[in-house]
Amino acid sequence: MLIQYIFEIFYLVLIAVIISFTVLFYIFSRKAPKKRSNELKQPIDTDVEHGMQRNEKNWLYFLLAVVLLGNLVTLSPLIPSANYGLWTQSPPVMTITIQVEGYHFIMPQQPIVIPIGKVVEFVVVSHDVTYGFGVFRKDGTMVFQMQVLPEPYQNTLKWVFDQSGFYDVRSTEYSGPQNPFMYVANAIEVEG
Amino acid sequence: MNEDERKILTLRFVVVSLVFLGLGGIEGVMMRGRVDNLDLPLLGLDPQHFYAMLTAHPFVLIYGFAYMAVMGAFYFLVPFVLGRDIYSKRMANATFLLMIVGVMTIWTTSFLTHYAPLYTLYWPLPVAVATAGWNPVSILPFGVGMILIFAAVLAFFFNMFATIFLPLRPATSSQPKPAFVAKELLVTAFNVDKLRAKIRGVPNYASKVFAFPIFVVGVFRGCVDTTINAVIMGGVGVLLSIYGVSYLLPSMALSPSLIDPLVYKNVFWWGLDMIADGNVLMFTAAVWYLIVPLVLNRKLFGENVVRSVILADLLVSMGVWGHHMMADTPQPSGLLVEGQIVTWGELVTMGLTMFAVLMTLWLARPVKYTAPLKYVLVSIMGYAIGGTAGVIQANYAVNRYFHNTQWIVGIHAHVQLLIGLGMTIFAVIYALFPMLTGKHLSERLADVQLILWTVGGLVMGLGMGLAGVQGMLRRMLYINGLGPFQPYMNVALVGAIILASGYAVFLANIIRTVGFKALISIFYMPHKPSVTVQTVAETSSKA
Repeated sequence: MLIQYIFEIFYLVLIAVIISFTVLFYIFSRKAPKKRSNELKQPIDTDVEHGMQRNEKNWLYFLLAVVLLGNLVTLSPLIPSANYGLWTQSPPVMTITIQVEGYHFIMPQQPIVIPIGKVVEFVVVSHDVTYGFGVFRKDGTMVFQMQVLPEPYQNTLKWVFDQSGFYDVRSTEYSGPQNPFMYVANAIEVEG
Repeated sequence: MNEDERKILTLRFVVVSLVFLGLGGIEGVMMRGRVDNLDLPLLGLDPQHFYAMLTAHPFVLIYGFAYMAVMGAFYFLVPFVLGRDIYSKRMANATFLLMIVGVMTIWTTSFLTHYAPLYTLYWPLPVAVATAGWNPVSILPFGVGMILIFAAVLAFFFNMFATIFLPLRPATSSQPKPAFVAKELLVTAFNVDKLRAKIRGVPNYASKVFAFPIFVVGVFRGCVDTTINAVIMGGVGVLLSIYGVSYLLPSMALSPSLIDPLVYKNVFWWGLDMIADGNVLMFTAAVWYLIVPLVLNRKLFGENVVRSVILADLLVSMGVWGHHMMADTPQPSGLLVEGQIVTWGELVTMGLTMFAVLMTLWLARPVKYTAPLKYVLVSIMGYAIGGTAGVIQANYAVNRYFHNTQWIVGIHAHVQLLIGLGMTIFAVIYALFPMLTGKHLSERLADVQLILWTVGGLVMGLGMGLAGVQGMLRRMLYINGLGPFQPYMNVALVGAIILASGYAVFLANIIRTVGFKALISIFYMPHKPSVTVQTVAETSSKA
């Protein structure tokens, strides 16, 4: 399954929980509590609360746990993009240098033939404005993208393709009204 | 400036902000139609026109709608809470005019010249005349438009700071001295008073100056972020103006290579993201902290913790810009990781803010929900949905798949702005309207608007966002057809139309309550509007 779909399912469940919580909160907060809590009996115009209350502390610990877990997962090699970008040490088997100028990708060859399952490196250089460099499957889903800052910067990315076939390239960053035309069909062929 | 004048000024800001909301909304629906490749009149925009509209759209809605609504509300609420007048009437009126002229200058420049660098203004696109084909004449007025907007923003914040700190003119003996107010504000903002009270064993410490210390601290804190934002964005406006002038004299044309694109992008996002923290999150939180306790007539839950949260958010906001740079591979990896971790910190600060507001509501059971409370509750939901979508992709790993897709602009940006921020602004309008006009807006129509706006915003945001999961890019026209994205865009268009109908209901509610003629009268009758003016004291006592 594509990594995007895992996050999509997680997010859909999350927003279902958020919406349900909001509706239930609205319904139940309109009803009088069966037993008045201590807080309700306290005067409302004095500052009687010191420090965090227990339920607030629990909520804070929960949030901190989410932050810790989220960062650990997304910076770990579990997700391919983080693995290739932050953890992969092996040198690329090939480096593909692509020039961009005047709203055109200048490819070294077409299609660029890449071996499956090997680390390859893309180096994209813009000679005028900021572009994007995105590789897409034939069904339109994104494999990866990066920004292409203009010279003097070189924009590099390591990747491992795990499926053979043809891939398209688009500019993923707005670079002017001609940007929608920056599309190269079958720009990459992954073999193996 | 007397109370009636402040009411009229606030009403003017609100009405103009709603006009800009309508203008931005029309643009939004037109662009949705164009992205959907609908072959209908007015929707067949060519790419130049489409991107010019896409450039003006956020300026109109962020500055024309959101900022003007916030300014109007605070020009009334801050004096109301502090029990003192606005520092400068002239500056308040100047803010109003400068904002309108600035926003309209940008809108007109984009409309007439099709200048379209987008709000991102990534260097060197805004000055890439030869590459992008801009009319060189368009750069200067666009830059001037930005300068006017941010001059207005700075003038507004100066007026806010001065209202809090400086003595009124003429000074009265009863009011606290500005140095005392300044000291109290800083002491309250940084929790020093709580610490001192704890050390001294003072059981029931209360702020000496402010009736609603959290609100005042929130406004102060939001003003710090948005002032930084205004300085940076105003600086970009100055930069564009300098280049614009140089392009009018071909022999003196400046080279775009004078500016480093990566350094520029870092500074730009550091400043621009302050809107998200200052105007969107902190002002929103400050308004929740004011409205909910005020309407419920009870104390905010965990007030001392909330103040610490505001302080924490101040620190977080200074290092959060890096999540906009995750896809820039020349960015140092240390900054990428820092940007990710600090951005996740907003989950904690916003999470605690929501908790405090919800607990305040929960402890007040049975809550009699009026329109402002309902809108605050849905606003919290909007921030929770939009905020988590932002956090999910604001990290090194997932950003590689989601950056610049419809996910970001749909589920994150639009849900957060339309339902999160938009609902808060509506809540303020519903709360202030009786104070400003002496008339109550229809609760039934408010409910209809709430449902339409929420459903429309969610349907549109989800339609766009789920297309993003499929790989659909934002800021992209699929000239040869949308292919697999078509159903998602159809859904998003339906959502946009539902959203627009929510706006129409809101306008109808206002017009049927005060009348169209009375609404217009506030612009030419400086002191006595046709709508009844009721004193704040009367309204407050009724509440």
